[in-house]
Amino acid sequence: MAPLLEVKNIRTYFHTQDGVVKAVDGVSYDVNRGETIALVGESGCGKTVSALSILRLVAEPAGKIISGEILFNGVDLLKLSDAEMHKMRGARISIIFQEPQTSLNPVLTIGRQISEGLEFHKNMSLHDGMLEATRLLKLVGIPHPERRVYEYPHQFSGGMRQRAMIAIAIACQPQLIIADEPTTVVDVTIQAQLLELIRNITKELDTALILITHNLGIVARYAKRVFVMYAGNIVEYGQALDVYHQPCHPYTAGLLASVPRLDEPRKNRLQPIEGQPPDLIAPPAGCAFQARCTYSLPQCSKEKPVLMQITPGHFAACWISQRGTKPWQK
Amino acid sequence: MAEVVIEVNNLAKYFPVTRGLFRQKKIADVKAVDGVSFTIHKGETLGLVGESGCGKTTLGKCILQLLRPTSGEVLFESRDLCELSDKELVPIRAKLQVIFQDPYDSLDPRFTAMDIIGEPLRIHNISKGKEYRDRVAELLDLVGLARYMAERYPHEFSGGQRQRLGIARALALQPEFIMCDEPISALDVSIQAQIINLLDDLQQKFGVAYLFISHDLSVVRHISDRVIVMYLGKIMEISTRDELYKNPLHPYTQALLSAVPIPDPAVEIKRDVILLKGEVPSPMNPPTGCVFHPRCYRAFADCPKIVPILADAGGGHQVACLLYETSRP
Repeated sequence: MAPLLEVKNIRTYFHTQDGVVKAVDGVSYDVNRGETIALVGESGCGKTVSALSILRLVAEPAGKIISGEILFNGVDLLKLSDAEMHKMRGARISIIFQEPQTSLNPVLTIGRQISEGLEFHKNMSLHDGMLEATRLLKLVGIPHPERRVYEYPHQFSGGMRQRAMIAIAIACQPQLIIADEPTTVVDVTIQAQLLELIRNITKELDTALILITHNLGIVARYAKRVFVMYAGNIVEYGQALDVYHQPCHPYTAGLLASVPRLDEPRKNRLQPIEGQPPDLIAPPAGCAFQARCTYSLPQCSKEKPVLMQITPGHFAACWISQRGTKPWQK
Repeated sequence: MAEVVIEVNNLAKYFPVTRGLFRQKKIADVKAVDGVSFTIHKGETLGLVGESGCGKTTLGKCILQLLRPTSGEVLFESRDLCELSDKELVPIRAKLQVIFQDPYDSLDPRFTAMDIIGEPLRIHNISKGKEYRDRVAELLDLVGLARYMAERYPHEFSGGQRQRLGIARALALQPEFIMCDEPISALDVSIQAQIINLLDDLQQKFGVAYLFISHDLSVVRHISDRVIVMYLGKIMEISTRDELYKNPLHPYTQALLSAVPIPDPAVEIKRDVILLKGEVPSPMNPPTGCVFHPRCYRAFADCPKIVPILADAGGGHQVACLLYETSRP
């Protein structure tokens, strides 16, 4: 069966005073029905922009999707009219933003904000929408939903606002949910609650999920397949187990080595990745990671590596692993 | 054990909650820090973990007298800092420094790197002219920045580099104690390890003590010698690092540790997470008895009635939980 979503070679650039920022520079990935994938990477690597591009929510005129295809159920979203796209957002594809504080409307009740999508996409009346909103709030674990549905975002705590966001996202039973760092602003105990909730709901509704995060632990806990991004490109992807246990890109290996793990004996010293991510206005020639890579070859600074299959289903864009060696593996 | 640098006794900080526009009437207190005692030893790192709003930062600020505590003592060089006037505190502040969480907010955008790092030297009249410039250059070397960067402004530095500037500023006066308030939480994963290693190196070189405030339990385990777990203004558990992580006693600590995802899918698939019910209650109206009892999965009938005392549990481990209280005097 064809995948639910196929992102093909998209490029999203931002025009700034300093020059063109190539935030997403030729990224491809796919999501199957009901599957959870993760996009991992550090700030500025393009993971959020690549997801916003799917919904065509990139801020114009500064930002623009230059090229590529985004096939959702075989239809190219980039070719849809604004009205057609409007019908897609919230109904078929929805998003959970990072900060519920700024992404909820402060002057509308929570119930109204959940009902909004139902009224637009499902032609519900406000009354039915509010009833459905109450049911959804109960589903996402908010106590006293019949009262809470009439409250405003400022009356909700951070964790509860994020629960309300989840209710908005699932209201029209979309086929795909994009969760953009859904738990970065909440505490660990609330993070665990919210992620369990997202997992249970997506399973129950058979919804596909794109989980965007910088937290390698969350990815390990929730995603089956992982796409690692660096400087606007996907540098490695595959089954989570393969990527974590046999990283084929030195960046992935470096990230995994740099975080302390609670289940392993304490090390005396952490192994950081030295240096900083490159400037996306004038990216270096060749591999973007080359300057920070301990193992780089002469070829790395000349030619940009492309994604190639290293083992079945496991791809990496690295000249070193494409030669069949992985010097970072002990 | 090494000598004590700072001793905190029964420290409390209450913030009044007022109502009314013109004649403000106090209606309640937010007990941000409520009767906390511990010591910090020379050259050690004391980790302080807890969820947002549990009073970690307030506690740190009270130690440095950036906030004046409501009651209690902070002993440094056998003087109670809470009793000293602002003027008397100035020479002491040279020995007690701070690194803030957000390297974007805590550096003056109109100062150059040299102005920022050198400000403590100017305030305390330590050095002038060439000596001053040499000292700033030396500090830049120490934190791994190039000397030519001294003339740059904060916006020309990356997040990790800015945090290095903040560290250089804290080190300028060779302090005995630095409060590190979430120093890495605003940084990217690959940069975090760089800063942690730097803090480690500097401690070994200068023997400075850290209070390392963080919500990241894996990082706290890496950097700390001892760890305090706080919840709603109170200490739930204090222990040496290895003991705490091997044998967490308080149900809250156990839940916190189980909530931290481990970056390995093979491990995660086998793990059971203790999901805590609900959220942290408002410190304005804290629960009776043990403040953790409404969310505790091991609470029993006495928990809402009796306030547990932080008591010794053996092996350098103290815990405030009725499960471990055998008898009360």
